[in-house]
Order: sequence, then structure tokens, then C-alpha cells
Amino acid sequence: MRSIRSARLLAAFLCALLAAPGMVAASLLDFSAQERRQIASLGPWPPQAQPDPSNRISGNAPAVALGTRLFFDARLSPSGRIACVTCHQPDRGWADARPRARGLADLPRNTPALANLRQQRWFGWGGGADSLWMANLRPLLDPREFDASAATIAGVYQRDPDLACLYRRAFGQAPTKRGKDHETVLVNTAKALAAFQETLATGRTPFDEFRDAVARGDDDVAARYPLAAQQGLRLFIGRGNCIACHNGPNFSNGEFADVGVPYFIAPGKVDAGRHDDLQRLRASPYNLLGRHSDDAGRSSATATRHAVLEPRHWGEFRVPSLRNVAVSAPYMHNGSIPTLRDVVLHYSTLDESRIHASSQPLLRALRLSPEETDALVVFLETLTDAHGADRPRPPLPAACD
Amino acid sequence: MTARLAALAAALLLPPSAIACEPPLRGEGVQKIEGPRHVVAWRAPTALPLAQFFALEFAACARDGSRIDTPRIDATMPEHGHGMNYRPTVEPLGNGRFRASGLLLHMPGRWQLSFTVGDETLRAALKVD
Repeated sequence: MRSIRSARLLAAFLCALLAAPGMVAASLLDFSAQERRQIASLGPWPPQAQPDPSNRISGNAPAVALGTRLFFDARLSPSGRIACVTCHQPDRGWADARPRARGLADLPRNTPALANLRQQRWFGWGGGADSLWMANLRPLLDPREFDASAATIAGVYQRDPDLACLYRRAFGQAPTKRGKDHETVLVNTAKALAAFQETLATGRTPFDEFRDAVARGDDDVAARYPLAAQQGLRLFIGRGNCIACHNGPNFSNGEFADVGVPYFIAPGKVDAGRHDDLQRLRASPYNLLGRHSDDAGRSSATATRHAVLEPRHWGEFRVPSLRNVAVSAPYMHNGSIPTLRDVVLHYSTLDESRIHASSQPLLRALRLSPEETDALVVFLETLTDAHGADRPRPPLPAACD
Repeated sequence: MTARLAALAAALLLPPSAIACEPPLRGEGVQKIEGPRHVVAWRAPTALPLAQFFALEFAACARDGSRIDTPRIDATMPEHGHGMNYRPTVEPLGNGRFRASGLLLHMPGRWQLSFTVGDETLRAALKVD
């Protein structure tokens, strides 16, 4: 928690510096035209909100109200012990600050922070879900997490008229009591949760102010961005080639990579990441090609339809966004790296023999000097907004009648 | 008339591999790849999007005038020895024209686009920023 508070203070400090012209000695590196194009490609931010066509209640206020209530409701777990907020805590950046998630049992992967989710193509570290609502189904049904079923979820509405009223407002019909339709209630619950989760976003950052200034050619404003952050940025888009995967306004290409993090989860047991999760996705009745998608034209299923399984996907994990990265420790799919500096050192001292690559390897040990390491860390910290880890807590919906 | 006769005479004298064929795709942004047995013309989006799906239209013809079966399309990063994470689909539009969808270039850098027409693969270089 101390590192989260420090990062938040640093983010606020950097914001204050940018908001106070004349407070800092102006200095701007001589970014080339190519570097300026690369910098501009990392924005603008925030993106325009787009509803999810596979979720008919995406962006719908009554659905957001229902999803908000459900998110904090431990009755979704038959044990009454697990709610979404158990792992996705607003004062921990909608994550849990633990290396690996813990529900009713321990899990092998790190809890991802919930933010900017409409920017993602795949969900989960291995991309085992192709929509946010599908991503909600896995923890609900997983015996290690909620250990719920369609029947237990439907039962929650039957025992709570107020919740059933919120459901009716969101979907235009009451949650059915008939057993054969419980699956619809389950999927709708996941869609309502998604409608709420889509509203969780990170705000503008010191980097965004700098990026916009560079994009409009305002070097005076750009020069207010800390020099160390500029130096770190130059490494990020240049020699470090971090931008190969962490590109675009969300600082992620939305795909998968093997970055040399061990995938053993127990002696003799591995987490094969994308390789296994893509197969699970294809076999699932809840993917975007299935009957539960509300997108009749299946335009949102392009990635699912075209995804190809390759041997190289073994041990690959989703490239995470770097927005608010300073407050999402610990890092990597298994939470094995405790601090942002350690992440930079991981890439600096990478074991290249560990990466499976043919031809020219994409990842090479960066062998950064201490000053370069510091600069890259400072740059990454400027990708965090003023709220830091302490996210605004949404108001719970009023009673429904 | 004289020019047409001259062209016909030239075509008759040349080996089949050198006979021109004109893929039925013209206009701004169209690029052509000439192979020994086929010619492909393709039109990419104005700016190739990084890590976003895109589609492209292309046309192909065989120099010997034979019918074209639906070609295959792929893209790779030769320097890094990997391709896309997606397998594009190709839809015939009729008259030797096709539409490929499901392409996604997930990294900036040099890519190679390949069109496989029959037993021949024709390649074009792409640069994604």
C-alpha cells in the first residue's frame, strides 16, 4: 500500500507541475519527426465511449445501476463470501494488490485492474474471453471463485424483490423463475456487470498533456513535461522498443507475448496462457459466435472468427495496458514482479535464451544504466492519473420500485 | 490498328510467363505485384492501422488466361519470424476480384503481405508505423 500511496502522490505532483506554467525550467528533447509521430500515436485520451454491440444493455443507465449493485453483492457466491469487489477493490485500483488472486481458493494468476475495458479485444491474461460479459461468467462459475451456478444466480433475484426490480428495469422483463431459463438470467447478470465495469476509466495523465502538446506542435507546453520522463519516453519508443507491444492510446496492442516470465505454477504444472485459453474460448458456448451474443451481424466477433492457434502461443500472456501502471503492482500475469522498477530491471537483464523466437528476436536484454532505468520508471509513472489507486467509488443505486 | 497488331505479334512471340494480364482493380492507391504466372493488384487502406482489424480489396489474373480460384492471403514479419495472430478470410466478389478480411498487424515495423494464387505466392512489403 505504501508504494501505491507514493505513486499517487507522485502522479498528483506531476499533474501539479504541468498545471503550473513557469514552475519548471522548460526543457524539451530534440524529438525527431518520427519520434513525434510515435508520441502522437499514444493518444488521444480519453477515447470516445462506444457501446458493446454484443451486449444490448451496454451503456444503458438502468443496466449500469443493476451492475453496480451486483458488483458489490456477495450473495452472487452461494457461500456469501465472494463478491466482484473482493478482488477488484476501488481503493486498490480495482485490483487487490496481491501477487495472485484469492477467491474461495488460491488462483494462479494476478487480478487485473478494471479500467478502460472497452479498449480490450480479449479478456483475462490468456484471452479466454472475447467479451467483457463472457469474462464475468468464468469467475461466477469457477469453484475456486464464486462457485455459483445459473440456478443460484437466479435464486438471488427470487429472494430480493429490489434486485429483481433493477433487473426488470435493465432488461424490460423480470428474471425468470423457470429452471430452463436460468442460463439467460446468468448471462444477463454477466452483461449487467459488464455494463457497470465499462464505466471504470482512467483519466488524463501528465503524459497525455505532453502528448497533446507535441501533437499540436506546442513545444512550450510540451517542455513542462519532466525531462527524465522525456528521456524515459525516448527509450520506450526507441532503443527499448517497448512500443512494439505497448502501443496505441491504451498502451497495448491487445495481443499476447512471452516476455520471459516463468509459467510454472507448481512443480510439474504450467500455465500455458494463450495456447490453452484460446482453445477454451473456442469450445465455450458463451463466445461471440454463440447464441448469447446480442450482435446479430456478429461484427464484434471478427477476432474470434479469425483467431488462429499457433505453437508460439504457448506461454504467451496478454499485453496489459500501461495506463495507471504505477498503481497496479504487483506485475505480470502471475504477479511475480513486485515493483515497477523491478519490471524495468526484468527487461534490462532479460534471459534471452528463455524467449522462444526465431530470426531476429524482438526482446533483448536492454542493459540499461541506472540513470536510464530511473528515466524509464519516471516516464511510466506519468501514465497514471490523479486518482491513482484510489478510484472513485460509484454510488449504489437507490431502492427500486 | 497497327499498334494492336504489333502488340498481338509481340504477345505471340513472348513466352507465356511474360504475357500481360490486367487484374480488374484500378484507381487511387492500387499497387500491382507481377509474378511469372499471375498478377495481383491490391488496394490497402489509406493508412495501415496498427493492431486494428482491416480489410483490403484485391484482384488477380493468370497470364495464361486460366480461371483464378480464391487466393489465400497472409502477412508475416520476416525479421522476427512470426505472422499474424489471425487467419484472414477471402471472399470472391466476381470477375477476378476479392475482399480479404480479418487482417491485423499487431506490431509496428516491416511486414510482408503474401497472396497465394494457385501454386504461386506473390509478396509485397508493408511498413506499419
